[in-house]
Amino acid sequence: MALKDIKTKIAATHRTHKVTRAMEAVSAVKMRKTQAAALSGRSYARAALGILARLSGSADLARHPLAQARKAEKIALVILTSDKGLAGALNSGVIKAAAEAIAPYESAAVTVYAYGKKGEEYFARRGYRIARAFENKADTIELSVMEELVAELSRGFAAGQYDEVLVAYSNFKSTFEQVPSVRRLLPLALADVTRLVADIIPEKGKWSETRAIESPAAYAMEPDDSNVIDILVPRLVAVSLYHLLLESKASEHSARMVAMKSASDKSKEVAHDLTRLFNKIRQAAITREVSEIISGREALAA
Amino acid sequence: MKTFHLTIARVGENLFDGDVISVAIPGVDGMFEVLAGHEAFVSELAKGTVRAVSAEGERFHFEIAGRGVAEVSQNQATILL
Repeated sequence: MALKDIKTKIAATHRTHKVTRAMEAVSAVKMRKTQAAALSGRSYARAALGILARLSGSADLARHPLAQARKAEKIALVILTSDKGLAGALNSGVIKAAAEAIAPYESAAVTVYAYGKKGEEYFARRGYRIARAFENKADTIELSVMEELVAELSRGFAAGQYDEVLVAYSNFKSTFEQVPSVRRLLPLALADVTRLVADIIPEKGKWSETRAIESPAAYAMEPDDSNVIDILVPRLVAVSLYHLLLESKASEHSARMVAMKSASDKSKEVAHDLTRLFNKIRQAAITREVSEIISGREALAA
Repeated sequence: MKTFHLTIARVGENLFDGDVISVAIPGVDGMFEVLAGHEAFVSELAKGTVRAVSAEGERFHFEIAGRGVAEVSQNQATILL
């Protein structure tokens, strides 16, 4: 490689380093914010899911239309990904998990609700029907958006348009560990809710102790049974979806921060190696020139 | 006094999590008071004030805007706003 090429490459690597370092700093701030949101949201989600779990053991909920399990033929898939890439294996992991989950079904039987462009692009390219696509740009999400989406999914489920609603997302474990997961949102079942609660319990710390979910045989309801269940169930389902979105957000920014950090480290390393190579070649050229001059001089003197 | 576990949470924020002796909750059909061993109960909330007495005998309260849910079961109460 010519000296000039190496010099250009070093400059380019430095520029890349600047960009990735800036992105790392931005992601670090967003990561802290979204992690805090996900972690503080956990107590609410846990309380809400606790109610849902206890209720789903009781007879009142078993009769609710959203709790009716039937043979799964038509699937609605909610896929939570990011809009932008540069987040390591995060999106591909979620997409892979989602694709595996819907593999047993024909593509005509699957309807996709995409939250985030990456998931939308993937499934649109493969000819799946995209019912709704949301942008995943803002870091603060309103619960009402999820309530609206859940209302639409619930209507579809109750009308027999879907037999099952699955959600693919990335579960936030730590800054360095995010687990792509697929969860069943509808029909409501105690086992799914219990698993979801177990997932949002951290391994150590304040919230790590688990309380067994016991459900009383019957609840007294106020104002009356059907009314309360009708208000409560869509709300709790929306809360669980909202929480999954918070987890995805925290995962996205953590994954991007880590990816940008390793990119910055790598570009530094590459720049260092290139500078070494540059010096070596330059020195070799100087040495060659000197020896040429000397040998020329000696030839003249002889 | 017998105590029970009370959780009061809002989306993204945990307002209270601990043991209490009693809590008074504004339901849509009127205030009701919960003590340890209350029957399993779910109620929609109305606008009003949640008043509780902690295990140490300390009194505290939260204003709520309604549109929430309270659940009581097996010696624990959860209020979601």
